[in-house]
Amino acid sequence: MERLVALWCPGFSNEGPRGEEVRAFAELLDSVRERCPFVEPVRRGVAVFPARAPSRFFGGEDAVIAMLRDDLGALCENQETALHVGISEGLFSALCAARRDVIIPPGEFLAFLRPLPITTLRRSELAVLCQRLGLHTLGRFADLPYERVLERFGSDGAHCHQVVNGREGELLGIRDPSIHQRLRSLEEAIPPPAQPTFFGGTSFADERATRAALRLQRRFGSASVQVAREAYGHDPNEQAVLVPFGSQGEERVTVAQRMAPWPGRIPSPSPTVVLSAPPPVCLVDKAGTPVWVSVDGLLTGEPERVVLGDKAKTIVAWAGPWPLATRWWEKRRFRARLQVLSDKGEGALLGFEHGQWWLLGRYD
Amino acid sequence: MFAFSTSPRPLASRPPIPQQLKERAKPVLSASSRTIEIDPALRSLLPNGSFQRGTTTTLFGPEGSGATSLGISLMAHASSTGHWCGVVGARDPGVTAMKELGLDVRRVIFVPHPQAGWADAAAELLDGVDILLLCPPRNVPHAAARRLMARAKERRSVLLIRTVTPKQWPIVPELTLSLTSASWQGVGHGDGHLTARRVAVTVHGRRGASRPVEQWLWLPTRQGTVREAG
Repeated sequence: MERLVALWCPGFSNEGPRGEEVRAFAELLDSVRERCPFVEPVRRGVAVFPARAPSRFFGGEDAVIAMLRDDLGALCENQETALHVGISEGLFSALCAARRDVIIPPGEFLAFLRPLPITTLRRSELAVLCQRLGLHTLGRFADLPYERVLERFGSDGAHCHQVVNGREGELLGIRDPSIHQRLRSLEEAIPPPAQPTFFGGTSFADERATRAALRLQRRFGSASVQVAREAYGHDPNEQAVLVPFGSQGEERVTVAQRMAPWPGRIPSPSPTVVLSAPPPVCLVDKAGTPVWVSVDGLLTGEPERVVLGDKAKTIVAWAGPWPLATRWWEKRRFRARLQVLSDKGEGALLGFEHGQWWLLGRYD
Repeated sequence: MFAFSTSPRPLASRPPIPQQLKERAKPVLSASSRTIEIDPALRSLLPNGSFQRGTTTTLFGPEGSGATSLGISLMAHASSTGHWCGVVGARDPGVTAMKELGLDVRRVIFVPHPQAGWADAAAELLDGVDILLLCPPRNVPHAAARRLMARAKERRSVLLIRTVTPKQWPIVPELTLSLTSASWQGVGHGDGHLTARRVAVTVHGRRGASRPVEQWLWLPTRQGTVREAG
């Protein structure tokens, strides 16, 4: 019979109204699956997997259990549940071993089962009758002749007899098939989006993030959830753009654009806030006269204050202006960039365009 | 007398695991399931050198103090090791700056304009990402703050909140990083350009960080990275 490792977390046996026990159990299964891919849930809080391959790979059954305890210890501690692990042949015997936290040596599981009380089978009628007959242990029950058990207890009793005699591994009713349904319902059966694996990612974290993004899109509209896409240009707001989640697969950037030198590009660091709708600002010198960029690309005065709406900030240092050599033949398209630093240590990026200063970004 | 009083064969007790095997079999996973690593250069900021999952940290500082940069830098290492990050409520995020600070923007989900639904959007996104940077509005209801912190705890994510006024986040979080002063270098009167910024960060929190500690950081350095400043 196949040797099995059984895990039992009593804290996950019942599901509360918020269902976090099942979620934690799913997390536990995922974390076991990383090491032992054939783990399967038996019922809430109980999982099982074949022992042979992992114990050979990790160097012994003890090593497998030590590894499980290390892997799952934090999770179980967080959920305030104990973690019981046992190894034996057959599902019934493995679960009994897990309840007692023991590893049964190969081939000795019948000796392990024999002294267990008859109630372990969870057949109340059978247990009561056997106890009245003086058969208190599984071993005594196993010693009864098969035909007599079949006669007296019917097919279910006969099946129990086969299990305690080691001819069958699994006791009927030990599995709760609804756990599969419940675990599947956690995943919410969302159809995969058109371009979910935009970075070739199919890991659990990627799937989880994709699901969350899709839920948000359903709730707040598809344009509200965005991801970054590389782009190329002079300005920080041209070098990367935000596009709705799911549409980022359309790569429109050509190699030539990527290789372009982009003269006049602001050296890094880039502003951490790049305003998508830059507000107009006024730049004035000490006397209060506006400062502009002249035709030869120089400032007409020393900037002293920058005024945005009704707020004014004192400028202590500035760098630039850097003219952008694009469409220089159009006078109105003359553009330049200027970095300013306020007396409070705030940096800002200003742009000169259409004969007016604009606040393009802030260095926060 | 019971019929089964003949004692069964005693069970073989589990032999102890050899010490050297125990050491070798210890997986890296057990530690990382409780914490999220950050950039080694920033480790001295956090009490244990990493984020405890399920905790909340506020990044407080006026606009221009570098709190956003600090938030991005704190997420950068995690994103490059496969964790997903979320940015909620940052209306105009500088994606280029994020890339320069080392954030892998391919694993960042932005919700730039959540408007009135900012708390719902953040709660929903906490399900899918490991670190969430939230820029809340000026007035945060107490209930919304409590709900989000509980959500982060339940989902075992890290919640970073970028605040601009001291009491903007109504609940005291596990950790507060306050940026008190910032000075840029490299810019003169028309010459040079902004190159490096030195900021002072005061770390204050519960448990291991109950005594406020001030630290200086280059955010960023001339090379665009983050480093402790002496």
